[in-house]
Amino acid sequence: MVTRGTLIYIGQRLVLIVFTVIVVSFGVFAVVHSLPGNAFVSDRVHGRALQILLHQYGLDQPIPVQYWSFLKGLVHGNLGVSLYIRDLPITPLVLRELSVSAMLGGAALIVTIGLGITFGVLAAVRQNTWVDYLLTGIAVVGYSVPSFVIASLGILIFGQWLNNLSHGAFFYPEPWTGTYGTLAELSLPAIALGFYTSGQITRITRAAMLDVIGQDYIRTARAKGLQDRIVILRHALRNALVPVTSILGPTVISIITGSVIIENIFGIPGLGKEFVESIFQHDYNVTVGVFTIYAFLIGFANLTVDLVYTVIDPRIRY
Amino acid sequence: MATLLPEPTVEYAGGTLASEQVSLWRDGVRRLRRNKLALAAAIYLMLLVLVCVVSLFWTPYKPNLVGNCPTYDLPSAAHPLGCDDLGRDSLSRLMVGSQVSLAVGLATAFIVLAIGVVVGLIAGYFRGVVDGFISLAINIFYGVPPLLVAVALYVLLGPSLINIIIAISATVWMDMARLARGQALSIREREFIEAARSGGARAGRIVFGHILPNALGPIIVQATFVIPVAILTAAFLTFLGFGVPPPTADWGGMASEGLPSLQGGFDPYILLWPAMALSVTLLAFNFFGDGLRDAFDPRQKR
Repeated sequence: MVTRGTLIYIGQRLVLIVFTVIVVSFGVFAVVHSLPGNAFVSDRVHGRALQILLHQYGLDQPIPVQYWSFLKGLVHGNLGVSLYIRDLPITPLVLRELSVSAMLGGAALIVTIGLGITFGVLAAVRQNTWVDYLLTGIAVVGYSVPSFVIASLGILIFGQWLNNLSHGAFFYPEPWTGTYGTLAELSLPAIALGFYTSGQITRITRAAMLDVIGQDYIRTARAKGLQDRIVILRHALRNALVPVTSILGPTVISIITGSVIIENIFGIPGLGKEFVESIFQHDYNVTVGVFTIYAFLIGFANLTVDLVYTVIDPRIRY
Repeated sequence: MATLLPEPTVEYAGGTLASEQVSLWRDGVRRLRRNKLALAAAIYLMLLVLVCVVSLFWTPYKPNLVGNCPTYDLPSAAHPLGCDDLGRDSLSRLMVGSQVSLAVGLATAFIVLAIGVVVGLIAGYFRGVVDGFISLAINIFYGVPPLLVAVALYVLLGPSLINIIIAISATVWMDMARLARGQALSIREREFIEAARSGGARAGRIVFGHILPNALGPIIVQATFVIPVAILTAAFLTFLGFGVPPPTADWGGMASEGLPSLQGGFDPYILLWPAMALSVTLLAFNFFGDGLRDAFDPRQKR
């Protein structure tokens, strides 16, 4: 239900997002522009030639002036040009990489939510049995083991051992072949990325389910003769999802963070890989652009989660 | 009239029914000791600290000695964990690597404890404009991926262990600040704070003398969870190549050095050892933190 209050709330949040993006992009702008060295180091240009290049890209102006022209471009959706691959417009590049990252992140989110909620419900339903201990154990392992360890083990098992055992019949192609990987190529990075956050979701789902299962309306539902499956899935899980939704925001952020690592391991041409490369290449404009996109992304992800909250639990109004 | 009244204890089978008075801390330690998993984790962590201290003075071989043994040597009697791509002894490097992880974890926890608690308590106690400003800062920091901020700060500050710690602290202080703020908001309304205020106590005394001690349980528990997060973030940083300057060994960097030989399919061990050390250490810190929370902060839900 869209009330006036909701609209005002959304408006406030949008203002906060814009404010965050401005502060963050300025912070990153100031940081990268005060770094020693520049994008032209590898070209071995010095003296006069370097001055001309710096002037050409407006890099000889004071930082506030440069930032103002960046903001003016941002309003038009223009993030400037790359300094490493000279004059390559950043916006299309970053948007394409965003779509690759979004695909990976979306797949990881499906893995996370699927695994987390299934494990959490199973653990709660079989509380204090070996199923519970096993699944909560897996959850702790999940959020303790770094994603690059999971990724490396995956490469070792699927890329090497299974490949050797099956004499090449099972083949996990490791570097991503196209811009967007195939489903087979996507699976391992998505699982490596999603496994970490699934641990948290298992934990929260289990606790929420245990809380809900003890309530009177569940006893009523059972008493009127409903099947166990329906009671759990339709009556209990729906209410247990409310606290689960509350950690979806941090989950999305942690998937975005993790994707930087995973993309670099698997050679996936997404935002995270670009970010690391741009730093090593002193390609400041790209660094700032990627950061800006991330800030927007996280802002909107959090806003979406908060709005989904109101759908799942109508008692919550803004 | 004490002589007229008997001791108010009830005797039964040689014991007393009235339970002895136990302080919060002793009660907590008792509960912690009953938690086998947390105890095992604590023992592992003590061993880790021992290894770390030993590695400061002694390692089987010089950890940075290149060409110490054949490159990609598999585990053998002389080199129990094998050798890396430059022929350095993996066991020695693994031992030395614990220094970076422990230093980053503990130092970050202390910095976050100091900054987060002060900022959070001030926001929660003074409310109003101060709180608005601090909360806005917290929200802005929540709006950026922590790893990227850490990378940017690290690149700005330059490669060193201290700068890794600073960069990570800057990205994980918010949870602590938010917790301390929430505690201060609720505790400041209690009667004993009102009593202190009417007694003429100044703000500083109320915040740090009265509110802080009462919020200490959850704050300490939160601090123990900062340690694994900091170690994990440091491992991510060093894995991406933003780490302590080589040749200093650290687990994240060792794992990243081992990745090509694992992907090439000829020596998975270079990566597996630091990966295992990291995973077990993080698990231990998480188990220990869970145990600590159950013991000292019973109100908080899992």
